[in-house]
Amino acid sequence: MPLIHFQQLMKLSAINLSLLGLTLITSPSFAQTSANNMNNRSLAATCANCHGTNGVVVPNSGMADIGQLSKDEMLTKLMAYKSGAQPGTIMPQLAKGYTDEQLNTIANVLGKK
Amino acid sequence: MNRRHFLGQSLASAGLLAGCASSAPINISKAQVVVIGGGYGGATAAKYIRMFSNNTAQVTLIEPNTDFISCPMSNLVIGGSRTMAEITSPYENLSKRHGVKLIKDMVESIDQKQKTVKLASGSTIKYDKLVVSPGVNLMMDQIKGLAEANQAGVTIQAWKAGPETIALHQQLAAMRDGGVFAISIPEAPFRCPPGPYERACQVASYFKKNKPKSKVLIFDANADIVSKAGLFRKAWATLYPGMIEYHPKFNVVAVDAKTKTLKFEVQDDVKADVLNILPLMRAGDIAVKSGIANANGRWVQVNFLNFEATAAKDIHVLGDSIQVAPLMPKSGHMANSHAKVAAAAIVAELGGLEVNSAPVLTNTCYSFVDATQVVHVASVHQYNAAEKTFKTVPGSGGLSPEPTTLEGIYAWGWAKNIWADSLA
Repeated sequence: MPLIHFQQLMKLSAINLSLLGLTLITSPSFAQTSANNMNNRSLAATCANCHGTNGVVVPNSGMADIGQLSKDEMLTKLMAYKSGAQPGTIMPQLAKGYTDEQLNTIANVLGKK
Repeated sequence: MNRRHFLGQSLASAGLLAGCASSAPINISKAQVVVIGGGYGGATAAKYIRMFSNNTAQVTLIEPNTDFISCPMSNLVIGGSRTMAEITSPYENLSKRHGVKLIKDMVESIDQKQKTVKLASGSTIKYDKLVVSPGVNLMMDQIKGLAEANQAGVTIQAWKAGPETIALHQQLAAMRDGGVFAISIPEAPFRCPPGPYERACQVASYFKKNKPKSKVLIFDANADIVSKAGLFRKAWATLYPGMIEYHPKFNVVAVDAKTKTLKFEVQDDVKADVLNILPLMRAGDIAVKSGIANANGRWVQVNFLNFEATAAKDIHVLGDSIQVAPLMPKSGHMANSHAKVAAAAIVAELGGLEVNSAPVLTNTCYSFVDATQVVHVASVHQYNAAEKTFKTVPGSGGLSPEPTTLEGIYAWGWAKNIWADSLA
């Protein structure tokens, strides 16, 4: 396994993975960790339709460049859309469809490293 | 030490162990994945299977067209405010950047036993996993005289973007001022629920500027506008007063090409100058031919965790061809979303990993009410394990309050990003 992927795994969300914590403690398998990693990337890929693959937006496309946000900035923004504190067109409607844990995972995967 | 902290630390040690075990990588480099159809579903699946497998799985994409031409935005070309070049993207980045093998061909048949597909050119390709994303087929035979009218060049559907898109615009351009454009809409489900109503807007927008005495007639087999009803109704009344007539529960059963007449199940005949007749739709040919379209012989039932056809092992079906979950539209965005869930599941299955038990889909759909103003509908679909289907999340999703040019900018932003996400 290339080192970079290992590092990415280490940056995964504590909150999200804590849900799977027991499994990981009893069965700390590479396979399970890889599955979690891929599932998290797959969840974050629901943003890619508008904000670009892996959060890399098409330049000058008029969409927010979310790849510039840190993990914390992104999560704060997503939670504000979800609560209604942050107005918008589509994002307030979409953010309400995700659990807090899912938004945290997305911020972890896509937030600027 | 709180619970989260404790688990976090344990995770770190678990991760370290995992790191040590990294000499056993996912061994799927010999896996052959074949993808049929390079639309929003198939192209995205090809790219994301490569990405999620860390570029190990071998992926072949079979698509007959030279370029990708987007159905979303194509109504603007019909209305004359945009060009074909603006909705066309190349396929080559899938091979250059992602190592997808591209084959310009059609699949004739699938041999489920041998796990092979046979191409129109005659060759045979082996697969371990097959992704079928052939879009829709228009059931021309459901409307008497339609096949003949198409052949004679009198009617054009332009429901798959391409040469027909331009041809329909040319019919409008050749029409006299004071002429009538009639569009007929089949019973749902069909590809792109708001598409026919957006098309009516684009044709009206063209008429308003170029042929202001002309009319747009909408004949809908459904009881009401299928998508964004209030928004479209308001847009028609405010932007095109007196120009657009909407007729619900008008089911076209026949067309006479010579007199350009529509015949309905119940109502009197109607003549028009330009006829855009959309028949009932079903899954793309290869899905129906191979016997996996087990919902009324029209759509393919799938397991929503991995999009595997319920009728065939290792055949995963995406996009417009599937029997949809409740409130799931047949849209390009949705096909792209299906593809990512399926890609992760396919890589997991090939690599011996557990398939995600809680996948998420989104849909975002922009409709242009004129050349620049746009309304949207959006939704989030979470997998429901108890009911084994996707369900929209209560309180999420929704519509635009009104058309705006800001959303027009976002609509193009969406298009550019989803094209790149699917193809680049």
